[in-house]
Amino acid sequence: MVKGVNTAAMQAEQLKLDGNLYFKKNRLGAAIEAYTEAITLCPSVAVYWTNRALCHLKRNDWTRVEEDCQKAVQLDRNSVKGHYMLGLALIRKEKYAEGIKALERSLDLGRGANPHSYMVEEIWQELARARYQEWEHDSTKRSWDLQNLKESCEIALIEKHLRDVTQTEGFTDEVTDSASEQLEALKSVFSKVAEADTPMEIPDYLCCKITLDIFRDPVIAPSGFTYERAVILDHLQKVGKFDPITRETLQPSQLVQNLAIKEAVQAFLEKHGWAYRMD
Amino acid sequence: MTGSSASSRKVLSKIATNRLQKELVEWQVNPPSGFLHKVTDNLQRWVIEVYGAQGTIYAGEKYQLQVDFPEHYPMEAPQVIFLHPAPLHPHIYSNGHICLDILYDSWSPAMTVSSICISILSMLSSSTVKERPEDNDRYVKNCRNGRSPKETRWWFHDDKV
Repeated sequence: MVKGVNTAAMQAEQLKLDGNLYFKKNRLGAAIEAYTEAITLCPSVAVYWTNRALCHLKRNDWTRVEEDCQKAVQLDRNSVKGHYMLGLALIRKEKYAEGIKALERSLDLGRGANPHSYMVEEIWQELARARYQEWEHDSTKRSWDLQNLKESCEIALIEKHLRDVTQTEGFTDEVTDSASEQLEALKSVFSKVAEADTPMEIPDYLCCKITLDIFRDPVIAPSGFTYERAVILDHLQKVGKFDPITRETLQPSQLVQNLAIKEAVQAFLEKHGWAYRMD
Repeated sequence: MTGSSASSRKVLSKIATNRLQKELVEWQVNPPSGFLHKVTDNLQRWVIEVYGAQGTIYAGEKYQLQVDFPEHYPMEAPQVIFLHPAPLHPHIYSNGHICLDILYDSWSPAMTVSSICISILSMLSSSTVKERPEDNDRYVKNCRNGRSPKETRWWFHDDKV
């Protein structure tokens, strides 16, 4: 019995290797077949599902990507690739909130494994793009709703003004003045509400002094200065073991995650989705 | 020193492009005083006019800096030289090369074009004599094949430049 199981597992592993080979040669159909056979033999191995999902992804078959990845993350809650491709599939289907959640999960897992791998960069790019799309989508609706509301309010104010004019004799100038004041005030109230959706300069304290860009994964040095993790590590490796601003000696092990700034960045981005824009 | 003229001809990395775009926007909003950058569509080479500060021996004079960015800017310093004619200064060679530590060994990625410009202007302003470095002729002769100043083994004339 035990021997039988082992044989199935070994066969499945071999099928995975075959699948990988087909995938490299861009023979997606053959790769999918191999992974499917592996899954039939050993349905509880998450990697078989994510590998097959990647084939579906290359074919833009997003429904199947979603199905396979759902299964993969069910089997392995820590699957970076499973959460990543699941996120991509959900976003393709305009399920932004769920897709973003999946991408965030995969980013956290990926950073835990290797904070500056190409995978983390790729996940971040996709996440930022999705966040930006979500913001574009939501803010368009918000500004449309606000515009309608503003017009209704203006019409109501003008109607009220006309009623007041017909009821008041002799003091029409005063009534007109107060009406135009109210219209002005209404305008400023509405422009205030729209401010969060209007791109402006990102505050300096949320930006890395090296990238000049908003922080993603901020770390603080003993000098008190905060830097973008991947970039400061690159600096320590390539330029020298010193703090770029104070020039004090600095070792990678001295860098500590700056949770306060990380939260401040999250709060800022939550409110100002346009800041996810990357050119 | 990792810099070489060969690497500076490579296209800018994504990080470099992103950062230079940010620097450019910041420059347009808040340019360092005494400098004028004529914006072109070439992000990799900036030509900046420098105006000698009032009350210094360069007052009323105008020079041009050429700044070339390497592929891995800001992990690598840009190449900064004066275009002909270079100001007469004890740390500036007649071929435009500038002996200033932050452009070479003391570069830090936290520095920007703007902070480089300010350092260069303060170097000019602190000079009391208009003369070339002592080794000017020898140095310029050595650079005749178009060598980048980033390939020079600099020993800095003094610490406070």
